[in-house]
Amino acid sequence: MAQSLDWKEKLKSRMAPDLAREIDIFETQIELRKQGKLDERVFAETRLRRGVYGQRYDNGQRHDGQKVQKLKLPSGGLTKGPETVWDAPGMLRIKIPFGGLNPEQMEALADLSEEYSDAISHVTTRQDIQYHFVHIDDTPTLMRRLAAVGITTREACGNVVRNVTACPLAGVCRDETFDVTPYAIACSNFLLGHPDTQDFGRKFKVAFSGCKQHPCGLTTMHDMGAIAKTAVVDGQERRGFEFYVGGGLGAVPYKAQLFESFLPEEELLPLAQAISRVFARLGEKRNRARARVKFLIANLGIEEFRRLVLEERAKLEPDPRWRDYLSTVRQYRETPLKPAASLNGGERPRGFDAWHATNVYRQRQPGYAVATVTLPLGDITAGQLRGLADIARRFVKDTIRTTVEQNIVLRWVSEADLPALYEALRQIGLGEANAGTIVDVTACPGTDTCKLGIASSRGLAKELRSRLSEKSFELDAAVKDLRIKVSGCFNSCGQHHIADIGFYGINRNINGYAVPHFQVMLGGKFNDNAGAYGLAIGAVPSKRIPEVVLRVTDRYIKERKKSESFQDFVGRIGKKETKAMLEDLTQVPAHAVDASFYRDWGDPREFTLTDMGVGECAGEVVSQAQFTLAASERELFEAQVYFDAGDLRKAVMTAYAAMVQAAQALVKTQLYDVSNDEAIVLTEFRKRFCDTELFYDKYAGGKFADYLFKAKETLQQQNGMKQDGALRLLQEAQLFIDAAHSCYNKLSALRVASPAGGQAANQGEG
Amino acid sequence: MDLQKINVKFFVEEPGAVSPEAFVLLFNAWIQAADGEYYDIADYAHVEAGPGILLIAHEANVAMDNTGNRWGLLYNRKQPLQGNNGEKLRRVLKAALENCRRIEEASSLEGKVRFRADEALVLINDRLSAPNSEATFKALKADLETAAHALYGNADFVLERESEDPRKRFSVRIKAAGRFNVAALLANLDKGTGNGNRRAAS
Repeated sequence: MAQSLDWKEKLKSRMAPDLAREIDIFETQIELRKQGKLDERVFAETRLRRGVYGQRYDNGQRHDGQKVQKLKLPSGGLTKGPETVWDAPGMLRIKIPFGGLNPEQMEALADLSEEYSDAISHVTTRQDIQYHFVHIDDTPTLMRRLAAVGITTREACGNVVRNVTACPLAGVCRDETFDVTPYAIACSNFLLGHPDTQDFGRKFKVAFSGCKQHPCGLTTMHDMGAIAKTAVVDGQERRGFEFYVGGGLGAVPYKAQLFESFLPEEELLPLAQAISRVFARLGEKRNRARARVKFLIANLGIEEFRRLVLEERAKLEPDPRWRDYLSTVRQYRETPLKPAASLNGGERPRGFDAWHATNVYRQRQPGYAVATVTLPLGDITAGQLRGLADIARRFVKDTIRTTVEQNIVLRWVSEADLPALYEALRQIGLGEANAGTIVDVTACPGTDTCKLGIASSRGLAKELRSRLSEKSFELDAAVKDLRIKVSGCFNSCGQHHIADIGFYGINRNINGYAVPHFQVMLGGKFNDNAGAYGLAIGAVPSKRIPEVVLRVTDRYIKERKKSESFQDFVGRIGKKETKAMLEDLTQVPAHAVDASFYRDWGDPREFTLTDMGVGECAGEVVSQAQFTLAASERELFEAQVYFDAGDLRKAVMTAYAAMVQAAQALVKTQLYDVSNDEAIVLTEFRKRFCDTELFYDKYAGGKFADYLFKAKETLQQQNGMKQDGALRLLQEAQLFIDAAHSCYNKLSALRVASPAGGQAANQGEG
Repeated sequence: MDLQKINVKFFVEEPGAVSPEAFVLLFNAWIQAADGEYYDIADYAHVEAGPGILLIAHEANVAMDNTGNRWGLLYNRKQPLQGNNGEKLRRVLKAALENCRRIEEASSLEGKVRFRADEALVLINDRLSAPNSEATFKALKADLETAAHALYGNADFVLERESEDPRKRFSVRIKAAGRFNVAALLANLDKGTGNGNRRAAS
């Protein structure tokens, strides 16, 4: 705590005030949870919305290969969520909107990975950065140090709008319609913390792409995807988007459906807001497996969904933010560090040509290139990240982005600098070629750190990388460009559905033993913004997957027709034949014959599913009213701190604000959009809860409500608050908030007993 | 200056004597024998000059670490220690060496891993309390000398900052003249401080 306050003091002038305040609030929530004053479910969703995620074994136990061990976690019974022990290492997800980074941010990320994690920054398949093995007590400090360089973890997890992703080539792509970067930034800023995005049943993912044909944006597998498009309207070319909704991978992949063939740019944010409101209001909240917006659209049909969204759009109060950013959109520019110069005749270091062939993309701006830094399994060490920041300063300034293929790109490299850049990368161990090839396998964390992981996706990816790297020089060109993607389970974080060759982890029980397997998926399409999903062929033991890759690619090379794509080839030979081709590989030798089949890649333990936990991808369904009640508790806690410090005036004002917040929480159960205006809250509370006697104690009657109105009068009197009077007001505030909790619980129980009624109320006012 | 988050690294004599995977197996065996003290293993052998293979725990992580392209055992104390700085440094040095000895004695490694005990890297994993500066070095020099003296007894040693890059963590290399082994250093630490010649680099 002391150290955290020191960083807080040190960085005070470098953090945006709003962000600093949010982190202070989170730190108080941690304290409240430790004191048992914050419900574990509410705290779980609260921390998830701050990017503080659970990790494998955080239920306090781990199978060591022989037995289940109870981990020695000093926090005892303290939890940070259901079945999640306080001291268990966790994961921190850091949002990197559109993947954009600058050298200062990279240095901060490097420092933090060393001090609070395992010295590795992991680039995810959605352009985020993740740290593993983080202690929750360190997270406020981490957040402050990130905030000081303009990074937030807010809404990186939980049932909210996740990181807004965009094509890493946006602005420099030779085929894009226009640069989507400023739109992605505007969308990310607009939806972050927006009141209409706080009551979702599940997460909501947004992606932008500058063109339709390339894979970079993967818009068709997102809840909301926007592809840059222009149209001539009234004789003038106008910008807009081909706009998609309802895509998603997961266990049941859905391809996004066209919502609007041309959505004018000025409609982007209001439509996103309207969609959010419809999703919050009608999206599934109880059945977590069917709560994504793709299911809502499937249930309603795209026409009805569109009608509801447009109806909602028509009702929205105009918001200046919808258009404010548009005045600067066309001025959005990245500036190169060096003048453009072509790569001519200069000396080329050894290995350069191979690297250049796979890792360099010629920009549409002549004389400039994008260089991809290949990160094995998306991992980069602190030393490398710091070194990469130096390299960026030397060659490109701040035009750096993470990619959905778990790499980092440096944009605006003067082509003449490429040999020197390659040499500099090589010196810090980042000169690997093969970016975007079959060797560059994508994988989610899987059983390494994920609670839901079934099989070792990273272990398999590492093995495949190793084997394919060895033969990369002899690989046929047609095979070299294929993509392999691996997920540790069916939830698809490794994006196996959109790979030419995809795998996801499953278990098979054979003669009483659990055996790690991967389901083989063939023929997915990474191009066309994730244009098609692969076909499940069958389950193969994990240890035989490398043979699957070899066999499938060999046959493709031998039997493909001229220019036949892998997808077409798989479609032509058919599932039956493909399955037959792999049939012998499905066999598992007896344990006594070869025990290695009963262990996963990179893990010496006998395979077991014992370590699987309850995932947090789905977050906790915590209503806005519950969040607001929790916030009122926090505010009252702060009032107590003021009181203890002798600042009575501030103490009573804060305690009163806490009471108003608790009242607002209850009003929100009936009137979702209730204003923050105190007078309106009090009026609505009186009308809906006092006059109706909903806020009525069996024994105390309306006494607790009186505390609220009396507190208001006390504050208005301004007659110099005495200590005992202040203490009394604080105590009454606590009683009022407790009563608000009781009232909320009573109403929730009624809604459970009569779900239709509850839902109708929600829909009516939502 | 209240030193916390002290890290100590001892380097292996012969890098590549065993594969990184051998340490995954070894650490797994340690987990099986430890009854809940260790939480997990993280394998980063695929990144160059990285943290290698880590054994994660609450109090301290132990890693076969390859940062700087030098394999060695890194003991990363995470939880606060009591006592004065000299005592804390000694405790961490001892804990690191005990892990080194355990590795040297591991039957699965067949004696292939030996540590160069004439050199130790002390690193403070906290940029706030110990920024990588000459001022920090001056402030901690006496404590580091005391620790080095306890480690190497009467032998000459030098202290040198590993890097002057202010972005990096404060780290000091202790290099002793002569040959030492892990057992000898542990014995020195158990004996307490000696009165050997010593000098520290500026």
